[in-house]
Amino acid sequence: MNLILSSLIFVPLLAALVVLVMPIRLQKPIKAVALLGALAQLVLAIVVYLNFQGAAVANGQRGYQFVEKLNWIGLSLGSLGRFQIEYFLGVDGISISMVLLTGIVGVIGIVSSWKITQNVKGYFLLYLLLLTSVMGCFLALDFFLFYLFFEFMLLPMYFLIGIWGGPKREYAALKFFIYTLVGSLFILIVMIGLYTSVVDPQATAWQLGLLERGMPANFDVIQQVRQLLQQNAIVSADMVHTFSIPAMTEPANFVPNSLLHVMSGVELWNLPIRFVAFLLLFAGFAIKVPTVPVHTWLPDAHVEAPTPISVLLAAILLKVGGYGLIRIVYPIFPDAGIYFAVLVGGLGVLSIIYAALCALAMNDLKKLIAYSSVSHMGFVLLGLASLTVEGVNGAIYMMFSHGIISAMLFLLVGVIYDRAHNRMILNFRGLAKRMPVYTSFVVVAFFASLGLPGFSGFIAELLVLVGGFSSPEATGMLPRWLTIVAVFGLLLAAAYYLWALQRMFFGKFWIYPDLRKDAILSDLNFREYLMLVPLAILALLFGLFPHLLLDKTGFAVTGFTEMVLQNGEEQLGRVLLMMNK
Amino acid sequence: MNEQAAYLSEAIDAIVAGAGSLLPEFMLAFFFLLLVFLDLFKSETIKRLLPWIAVTGLFAALVTQILGGYTSGGVQFLNLLRSDGLASYGGILFSAAGIFTVLLSLHNKALEQLKQGRGEYFAFILMLVLGLNLMAKSVNLLMLFLAIETVSIASYILTLTLKYNKSSVEAGIKYILYGALSAGVMLYGMSFFYGLTGSLEFTTVIFWRTLLQANTLMVTVAAILVFAGFFFKISAVPFHFWVPDVYQGAPMPVVALFSTGPKMAGIIVILRFVNAFAEPGMVDFYSDLYLFLGLAALATLIIGNFTAIWQKTPRRLLAYSSVSHAGFLLAGLLAFGTDYSGSVLFYMTILLFMNFGIFLFLQIFEDELRVVTLPGFSGLGRAYPFLGVMALIYLFSLTGLPPLAGFMGKLLIFSNVWEAYSLSQNPMLLLLLGAGILLTGVALFYYIKIPYFLFLKRNQSEENLVISLSNKLLLVFFTLPLLVFFFKPDLLQLWIEQMLAQTL
Repeated sequence: MNLILSSLIFVPLLAALVVLVMPIRLQKPIKAVALLGALAQLVLAIVVYLNFQGAAVANGQRGYQFVEKLNWIGLSLGSLGRFQIEYFLGVDGISISMVLLTGIVGVIGIVSSWKITQNVKGYFLLYLLLLTSVMGCFLALDFFLFYLFFEFMLLPMYFLIGIWGGPKREYAALKFFIYTLVGSLFILIVMIGLYTSVVDPQATAWQLGLLERGMPANFDVIQQVRQLLQQNAIVSADMVHTFSIPAMTEPANFVPNSLLHVMSGVELWNLPIRFVAFLLLFAGFAIKVPTVPVHTWLPDAHVEAPTPISVLLAAILLKVGGYGLIRIVYPIFPDAGIYFAVLVGGLGVLSIIYAALCALAMNDLKKLIAYSSVSHMGFVLLGLASLTVEGVNGAIYMMFSHGIISAMLFLLVGVIYDRAHNRMILNFRGLAKRMPVYTSFVVVAFFASLGLPGFSGFIAELLVLVGGFSSPEATGMLPRWLTIVAVFGLLLAAAYYLWALQRMFFGKFWIYPDLRKDAILSDLNFREYLMLVPLAILALLFGLFPHLLLDKTGFAVTGFTEMVLQNGEEQLGRVLLMMNK
Repeated sequence: MNEQAAYLSEAIDAIVAGAGSLLPEFMLAFFFLLLVFLDLFKSETIKRLLPWIAVTGLFAALVTQILGGYTSGGVQFLNLLRSDGLASYGGILFSAAGIFTVLLSLHNKALEQLKQGRGEYFAFILMLVLGLNLMAKSVNLLMLFLAIETVSIASYILTLTLKYNKSSVEAGIKYILYGALSAGVMLYGMSFFYGLTGSLEFTTVIFWRTLLQANTLMVTVAAILVFAGFFFKISAVPFHFWVPDVYQGAPMPVVALFSTGPKMAGIIVILRFVNAFAEPGMVDFYSDLYLFLGLAALATLIIGNFTAIWQKTPRRLLAYSSVSHAGFLLAGLLAFGTDYSGSVLFYMTILLFMNFGIFLFLQIFEDELRVVTLPGFSGLGRAYPFLGVMALIYLFSLTGLPPLAGFMGKLLIFSNVWEAYSLSQNPMLLLLLGAGILLTGVALFYYIKIPYFLFLKRNQSEENLVISLSNKLLLVFFTLPLLVFFFKPDLLQLWIEQMLAQTL
């Protein structure tokens, strides 16, 4: 078996173990080991990315490549059969871009952390643990494994914000922890419901004796098991329940009288229980995305977190939310995805507009960028809700592009904060005179973020909007006015960025008198170039050659939209039929 | 005359035949007497040996029950005690809890300085474990009452070990008052049951069948009265008022024991009780009782978790956390139609290690660094990273976060509740599921206070404390199951399943 995905996840963990045994005073070597760990992860990510076949269909696995599958936990539930947890990894077109992004941002973050002086060992230990768990999230195809990594992200993040953060760090760390924990508890409820409802056809075939244990099942056997299952011909003691996400996406794997089966007919608060499950899962991931109105933890966390942690938070941690929606929520509950398309898209548009308005009112540059993150993540929801090929591609593109650009933005805020120990917009004027190179990077980043053609942000927004506009005809998910409203988000983005640019960087140089004493406004140093130049190049590269990414994602996205639409329409019909009865 | 003689010899035969199944209890009783006897001597050597003798006794009982086989002569002692797999597994947990208690006591400063009554103290730990074993084995209401009283009396005395400590005395008095009250109420309820059925054997089907003919309201009231006694032992709402005071006043090892031993035994008793009427055909007749249990579980979860938020001392915080864990266990018991016994036992096993771990941690901080309030922990996690990380592991396991076994325990219980809901669609179960899961978020909020002060708050401390190796080893020992049983829960589950398969 190819172990490349496992090494991708566990290389940082290995580095963390090395850091753990190193003596505290060896600060430089600790940093070097951490950098090596992150670099190794990046190299592996690039290898995986280059070897990933955009259009390949591996046998029946719906395009998952580099698959690793091992039995991990098998628990017996007595009369209720068994449940199995697998160590199940794989990449497809949806996760491949996130893997690459994690690799890139992981290294940039380490470079950015180079100036950390307080408790270096603990910091890099937690940082590497964070990289492991984020990468694990993107690669796990077993819901339990995913949940394990998803929850485990919280701990390092809590301490990274809480110990190394700004003045209100304790409050921000706690808020972050509680919000995301509540979100993941919603996910936990549905996860429990799902695995008790879904069986693994292959393992059930083994259990039934249709197939020798350990033999891979061919399509006929799997079909046979599914038929038996749907005819209620399998006693529950023979069922092997599973956490496998691909198994959960197949409606025929649901046990007929289980609660989450399409035909269960169970209602909760006047909604079919499948819809309630969808809403819970959606809420869980929406907190992570974050979506208005559950976004309030994000500005606090960003403002208090140290620069590198802000970078990680914006660039990859938020993506886990959007990724979860695409990987888990929509494929498993396509019926509810269609039913609630306007809600999801509407929340997306609300995020775009509301967060942009908030950004416009912000005085703190970091807060402004935090709100712009929320606004941009709204496009992910809009694109996804449209369920068009363009829209979903745009959502994935937005996640990748925002990862690159927001990393750059937060690094740039870090630069001014390092020099002036302040980042209030009104405290500065005409910075371009003193820091011309810095200012030009800011201009690049701002324009990339607001979607200037030639930068990756433009492709992403374009795809999402095209998807949104074609949605009424192509899929019938979203009304046209919703996308029209979303377009105003672009205008607002231009407004808050340009206004900030004008107030802070242009005009005659001036700095708030109290800051003058310790502000040393030197231009970028080598380390900062090292971080900013690659990011700027990437933003440009993926803006000029979108096929670099779309070639990898396109096939999987087409499969995704087809599956969601087809399964969704059919299941929605059955669910509504059961409801009317 | 002859008749009587025949009856007597028959009775003696029955006693002799069943006595073999009580081997662990005999061992505990023997070592208890041995301790009391040896305590009479003034020799320092003997005094120093006393805890180790206690450990030997407990260890002997532990090993006997793990190996099993002593029940070959039958598992029933008259119609009073049944040594089935459930009782044996409980016995293993109790003996382990006893051993841990003695080990913690060896490191406890206050107990070390105790001038008199050290022998007694260790003897009463054995007595308590003996009582717990009897509780888990009882299948007769009167026997059950005796067992519970044995545990209670031992508990009162252990609470009052530090006689010169004011809060200890306060805790003891409160404990005795509440204990006496709940015992009386329970006995009253038992007398109702006897009156209604003419039998005391509450695990038999006939007992519950006979009850079907009685007035439902009467039966429900009687059951609620009986449950008062059980709830007192497992510290469930509304019989939890003694918990914070006792946890605040008693010596730390005793607190750790209270948070595990009696709770586990009480849950096993309730398990037997509930098992008897959980059959599909009968459960409908007892829906009122079911509703009561569901509401009690819900109240325990809510009150335990929310009250914990406002606590200022770690001991009281853990007291309410202990209440909330009783709620989880109760909720797990109500998942009728599923294999809930296994999950509940799994949860209790994990709880045993988590609680002893965290109380050992508190004991170290209280004894060595005099930390008695939450802010007292400020900055100490940075000064003692090893202790801090250990505390993190226990606390996150108590919260139920992966990758720790506390998460697995909760997952199993919630899965059962969900499964039971999909079988019966009883809204009570859905409510319990939702409350249980969402309150985990609340639980995080208070558990995280300790790491919050340990790591996030800063404080200059000059002291340089050396933690003894045995303390460190114990701390590590308690974390091992938490990690192992997360990654390989099947090991423990399989064992529990095998134990539970040993029925009559």
